[in-house]
Amino acid sequence: MNRSSTIGAQAIFMSPAVLLAATIMLPPLFFILYTSVHGTSLSLHEYREIASSSLFRRTLGTTLVIAVASSVLSVFLAFIVAVHLARQTARRRTILLVLVLLPLWTSILVKCFAFTIILGRDGILNGILSWLFNTKIQLPLVLNRIGLFVGLTNSLVPIAVFPILASVLAIDDSVYRAASIMGAKPARILRTITIPLSLPGILAGLFTTFVYSLGAYIVPSLLGGPRDQMLSNLVDFYNRQVLDWPRAAAISVVLLAMISVFGTPLAFWRQRKGIGGARV
Amino acid sequence: MNRRPFSTVSRRSFLACASRAIVAPMVMKTSGAFADSDIVTLTSTGGSYQENVTRTVLTPFTEETGIKVNIVPMPNMAKIKAQLLTGNVEWDVVNLPGTDAQFGSKQGYWEKLDPSMFDLSDLVVPPTRDVVTAQLYAQGIAWDPEKFGPRQHPANFAEFFDIKAFPGRRALRPDGPSTLETALLGDGVAPKDIYPLDVDRAFKVLGRIKPSIAAWPATTTQSISLLQTGEVDFSMTYSNRVKATMERGGGKPMAFSLDQTLIFTDQFVVIKGAPNKANGMKLLAYLVRPEVQARLEEAVGLIPVSMKAGAMLSEAARKWQPNLRDPKNLVISDPYWSDNYEKVQSRFKEWIQT
Repeated sequence: MNRSSTIGAQAIFMSPAVLLAATIMLPPLFFILYTSVHGTSLSLHEYREIASSSLFRRTLGTTLVIAVASSVLSVFLAFIVAVHLARQTARRRTILLVLVLLPLWTSILVKCFAFTIILGRDGILNGILSWLFNTKIQLPLVLNRIGLFVGLTNSLVPIAVFPILASVLAIDDSVYRAASIMGAKPARILRTITIPLSLPGILAGLFTTFVYSLGAYIVPSLLGGPRDQMLSNLVDFYNRQVLDWPRAAAISVVLLAMISVFGTPLAFWRQRKGIGGARV
Repeated sequence: MNRRPFSTVSRRSFLACASRAIVAPMVMKTSGAFADSDIVTLTSTGGSYQENVTRTVLTPFTEETGIKVNIVPMPNMAKIKAQLLTGNVEWDVVNLPGTDAQFGSKQGYWEKLDPSMFDLSDLVVPPTRDVVTAQLYAQGIAWDPEKFGPRQHPANFAEFFDIKAFPGRRALRPDGPSTLETALLGDGVAPKDIYPLDVDRAFKVLGRIKPSIAAWPATTTQSISLLQTGEVDFSMTYSNRVKATMERGGGKPMAFSLDQTLIFTDQFVVIKGAPNKANGMKLLAYLVRPEVQARLEEAVGLIPVSMKAGAMLSEAARKWQPNLRDPKNLVISDPYWSDNYEKVQSRFKEWIQT
């Protein structure tokens, strides 16, 4: 079967879903764009306003820093999990995968309040440390960037594990065998085989978690500190609290544009990976 | 709704909303055709608060008038604006914090009231031309009584801002309305001279204690839970929320100072073009009747707007009522904030982040 017929067949099966998604998604998105330029007057006033607003610029900076850091952190943790999972038998892996998915099944609100109890100054973790060292320990682990990263990675790691696991599993066992026959130590195998060959999954995980964390809203409000507020919190402020919809719409458009900029390579890249996979 | 001391949407109110969505087309048609419909729609914030309102106000109202009350969740100004813009008004009576009600009044969102519906001499805060104040609530200082005994905790705002005499981690609401007033009162401004706010001075005062501000709780629930878990020592929160910690299921009991409080208004309006306007007005008039007010506040623990109701409350409920005549207490100005909210709150948000 050649490639174009596969895509043609895919299009037929996918088109109802795509059409439905487009009818539901596109009109509101268009309306947001329309609101942000004050309707037919096509004014860029709101964009100029937010470009000169130091509140917006500061929040944008925070959002990017947090999104980059939390996606890198999540992918690092997810890589360790994925490599470990790849070494298990298929049955054991299924059971462990359920454990990986577990955080996604719990309400994020409940998780945030639970983390406050675990990480708080008089929380479980500090309690254990205080008991171990027999002195009062009150590490600041919540309501700051640490708490924010704990909360974000908790929900991002499961998302990153899957693409990385798929890549790691796709590596042919004989490559490992060849490497060890030629005397490569585990560290060398990791560096020259596992990481380069699972790069597709790592990058996919990186982009996906980055896009997810750009739009984070609940975790920064509940676990982050005052300096960790992100763009979504600002959208909420203009949309719900001061009813300045054009401003809220303009910020949403900027957020959406950023997500598209980082999401588009991901989409293309997945396509290329598909072709590569077919050739092997 | 960050700024309110009530709980958020519950499963029950969601179901109420969902079932309403199904019957809505039918209901709107009938209400359009007949002026004397027998229903009225009310927004509410859900949770145990809504259960109490239903038991003490809405069920007796239905028994007396035959008008059934449909409860829909989450009053939200953005939704009201959307309903008015599209000309598709689905709600009748809306329950809002004072600033929002005032803002909507300026925009012409509400129906005019007939003052003869109310016993004006009985109401602490009389209704305006389109907004009814139905109850008041108090914000003040809360602490853990196990950690801080008498005189070891700040009891008024000057003490709250004195980090030398009362060191400890503080939590304040992340809202300009209330926090800026607290700062100015803490700096010695007399309550009668607070408005218009000296915003620059308020930020300067807040800056003095900034290192001691450990949290700006995003939700009202958190303003209590951070206190209960020992994350903060002194928290600005609402009296009814502290009262709830002493009841079943409230967790660890906390303490609240009634020495000095900020008083907020909780308001009710009828949306312009509401499908059951006449019934909405009847509900508003019923809501501020003394015996209804007494029943309601006995259950939810806020402050009745009816003076006669204040006298009808039990000893236990009266223990939680701040003295509205005490000049130390400040009533938050809704007109000031409806004019200045966006400007001041933007600056406030930025200040918090730096």
